[in-house]
Amino acid sequence: MPLNEGGNYEIRLKGHLEPRWADWFDGLTLTQESDGTTVLSGSVVDQAALHGLLGKVRDLGLPLIAVNRRRDQ
Amino acid sequence: MANPLLETKLYVPRWRHGLVARPRLKERLNRGAETKLTLVSAPAGFGKTTLLAEWLTAAPADNPSAAWLSLDQRENDAASFWSYLVAALQTVKPSVGASTISLLQSPQPPPIEAVLTLLLNELSAISTDVMLVLDDYHVIDTREIHDGMVFLLDHLPPRLHLVIASRADPPLPLARLRGRGELVEIRAEDLRFAPDEVASYFHDSMGLDLSAQDVAVLEGRTEGWIAALQLAALSMQGRSDVTGFIASFAGDDRYIVDYLVEEVLQRQPDTVRSFLRNTSILDRLSGPLCDAVTGQDSGPGVGVGKAMLEALERGNLFVIPLDDRRHWYRYHHLFADVLRARLLDEQPEYVMELHRRASAWYERNGEASEAIHHALAADDFSKAADLIELAMPALRRSRQEAALLGWLRALPDELLRCRPVLSALYGGALLSTGQFEGVEARLRDAERWLDTTADVADMRERADTPSAGMVVVDAEEFRRLPGSIAVWRAGLAMALGDVTETVRHARRALDLVPEDDLIGRGGAAGFLGLALWASGDLEPAHRTFATGMANVQRAGYISDVISGTSVLADIRTAQGRLHEAMRTYKQALQLAAEQGEPAPRGTADLYAGLSELQCERDDLQAAMQNLLRGTELGERTGFPPDRARWCVAMARIRKAQGDLDGALDLLDEAERRYVPDFSPNVRPVAAVKARVWVAHGRLGEARGWARAQGLSVADDLSYLREFEHLTFARVLLAGRAVPDAMRLLERLLGAADDGARTGSVIEILVVQALAHEMRGDSAAALVPLERALTLAEPEGYVRVFVDEGPRMAALLHAAAKGGIAPGYVQRLLTHSGAATGEPHARQNLIEPLSERELEVLRLLATDLDGPEIASQLMVSLNTMRTHTKSIYTKLGVNSRRAAVHRAEELALLSQTPAR
Repeated sequence: MPLNEGGNYEIRLKGHLEPRWADWFDGLTLTQESDGTTVLSGSVVDQAALHGLLGKVRDLGLPLIAVNRRRDQ
Repeated sequence: MANPLLETKLYVPRWRHGLVARPRLKERLNRGAETKLTLVSAPAGFGKTTLLAEWLTAAPADNPSAAWLSLDQRENDAASFWSYLVAALQTVKPSVGASTISLLQSPQPPPIEAVLTLLLNELSAISTDVMLVLDDYHVIDTREIHDGMVFLLDHLPPRLHLVIASRADPPLPLARLRGRGELVEIRAEDLRFAPDEVASYFHDSMGLDLSAQDVAVLEGRTEGWIAALQLAALSMQGRSDVTGFIASFAGDDRYIVDYLVEEVLQRQPDTVRSFLRNTSILDRLSGPLCDAVTGQDSGPGVGVGKAMLEALERGNLFVIPLDDRRHWYRYHHLFADVLRARLLDEQPEYVMELHRRASAWYERNGEASEAIHHALAADDFSKAADLIELAMPALRRSRQEAALLGWLRALPDELLRCRPVLSALYGGALLSTGQFEGVEARLRDAERWLDTTADVADMRERADTPSAGMVVVDAEEFRRLPGSIAVWRAGLAMALGDVTETVRHARRALDLVPEDDLIGRGGAAGFLGLALWASGDLEPAHRTFATGMANVQRAGYISDVISGTSVLADIRTAQGRLHEAMRTYKQALQLAAEQGEPAPRGTADLYAGLSELQCERDDLQAAMQNLLRGTELGERTGFPPDRARWCVAMARIRKAQGDLDGALDLLDEAERRYVPDFSPNVRPVAAVKARVWVAHGRLGEARGWARAQGLSVADDLSYLREFEHLTFARVLLAGRAVPDAMRLLERLLGAADDGARTGSVIEILVVQALAHEMRGDSAAALVPLERALTLAEPEGYVRVFVDEGPRMAALLHAAAKGGIAPGYVQRLLTHSGAATGEPHARQNLIEPLSERELEVLRLLATDLDGPEIASQLMVSLNTMRTHTKSIYTKLGVNSRRAAVHRAEELALLSQTPAR
């Protein structure tokens, strides 16, 4: 595991966020789930970038449900 | 206030639309106004700012006055954060903080705790309550700022109350404050609108009477989130089927703000929609700025921006005024984020153009840093580079190197490399912030555009004809570049301890820097002087450094002259010219006095230097008083003396008083606090400590030191290691290795004589005399002793002889009997007796009382009560209590009576104040 702890992450939010927000979230993929949540997923270069993304989530007042690091690579 | 942008940050928001009486929150805020910290912590759009603004607006006139600071990313730099914080306090207490601001803006400001102490002292005297509101504190993520806030909270005067509004809990000791009942919190759960509040919000602010059912659905979908409720209200205006609208929006899973902003925008005319979208890139909005960004800054459109902003404010469309003149506004953060995201999605390439226009407007209006911010956001790096190059001289003068480096790092390397002025100043900024690794590469980038092999005249000429591909905006700075680069190279070499290279670059700099560039010449001569000093060429070192300082003084950089004083005095001391060293300090003190209050940085260190000289002359009382004076001055001005040097000077006094353990403790601290600077470390603290061990008979530790330093009798000698070698000779002698010691001393004497270092010569001769005496050859001992006495008498040396104890006393007796300097020897013997007999008036305390504390102590011995003492000293009762507490701690007592009693025992009351 690299020291900078980058990798593929999934950030799950409450509510449906439209795909147009992809650019705002640095090009992550937005998937709307049927349970009313949205998953932001994609490659995050390091921990600082991850915290930057979480800051953006916070600044929109979007309830954060989960953050996962995908272990499949 | 001259700066309108500053004004907008300190403006206490006073809007009161959509006012809903929320007595439970007001009651809690009122409680917070009596405690240390009120924390309003909740996500975006929960109405934190509105709540505070409404509370302050509605507050009765006798409530505390409120200072307000709206933070943004730019305050993530400690210097600018604290400057704004003080500026905010000055809006309600204009008399506080002037010296704090000047300290923060001074070259190399002191540690933040010293600055804050100064501010807190002033604030402890305020007689009415002040609330300081820090809004949007979540933008701060600088450790140093949080640490300063912790310090501030720990020492908060009773009349000052902090209110922090933030989207995330700040890293402050909240649990501790909570435990002590010093924290009042308002969190998301408290800010949520309850159903009855939702109903009255729609009724009062929008004139909408909703059914209980509609209210319940709305409350459920928005979860009482006011940002969403506000948007919902706007969307419902003029709608006939309110219930239908509420139902459709409740049944939609979309991000609620997205949904509602869409609804609100749909209902606006095109002009408003495009205005909102295009101006969303701005952190602050003014009519003219909006005109420029929307392309309406000429022709019939001029003035549209102002009218639009006013209309938006009337329509409650999320613009928030930032001043009373309706000049500057901002969008509600959440609303702006949504607008920006839409813009980014729909017209990504247009975003750049908008930033470019904003940058141009700010440039025309003289706001360099805003212009640079937008140029960087526009990815218009060459424009940003132009702006940075032009702004650089002013930024360097005000020591904003951190901001400067932040911008330079945002520029692409290939662009920087074509800009010699930027590259070189980048190197200079790295050097002055201690980041040595990157310096050389940047200087080399700059130098590629200058022909380094050409001679000086040629090079100056070339500098006037830029090469192809090169970009220079500041031609004046470019002309100076060859000299500036050489000065920075000299500084870099000095920082890396390379004396030869320092000399080479500094000499080159003196050839290149024009006569009228006083700072450039001063810097070059300064580095050359230091390098010559390090190599032991004392007279040229002194001459060169003094010339440099004269230039620096002519350029008006007085605190740099004051700080350079110890270099000149130390060189004189090494030359054995104590009178001149003393005069050097006194002249600098005179210069400092001429500057008025507050005394310049470095002044406190002058007292430490003076103290060391007085200690050598065995005037321990004056030496002690000057050290304390330095400390007190440091407390008053916020520029504390260099702690390592202060400790060494104090250790010297302790040693002279026979308190070797006390001396060792101080030297331990000096070792920990020592911060290398450009001056050569000619008296390493570890060696000073080894000498005390020798005097203490702790030979094992002294030998351990010598081993760790790898010292041996056969070492090559250099001035930089002279002090260590002489210490090593003492270690050898203490271990009775007399022949080895004598061999080393003989060589040391030769080297010191060659370098005309009379100060060293005297000490070497003294140790030689002791070595002869140890062999039992007193007659031989008198030979070096006689020479030492002859050299030392005119300069008034005392401790160099007296410190050697009874053995030396016996030798001195013998010398006097033999007719060697009998008058001087008699004086020395008197001091010698004083040293071994009763200690004279001094503080026999682990931690001595400061002069101020002695003053308080004297008043404690009178019949005056606390408030009377405070008024006599012209300080607040609080400050007086702080002094008293500190006195009790130092004396190890817990009552006034015991303190006076102990003071009498220690004869502290009879000591005259130093003035």
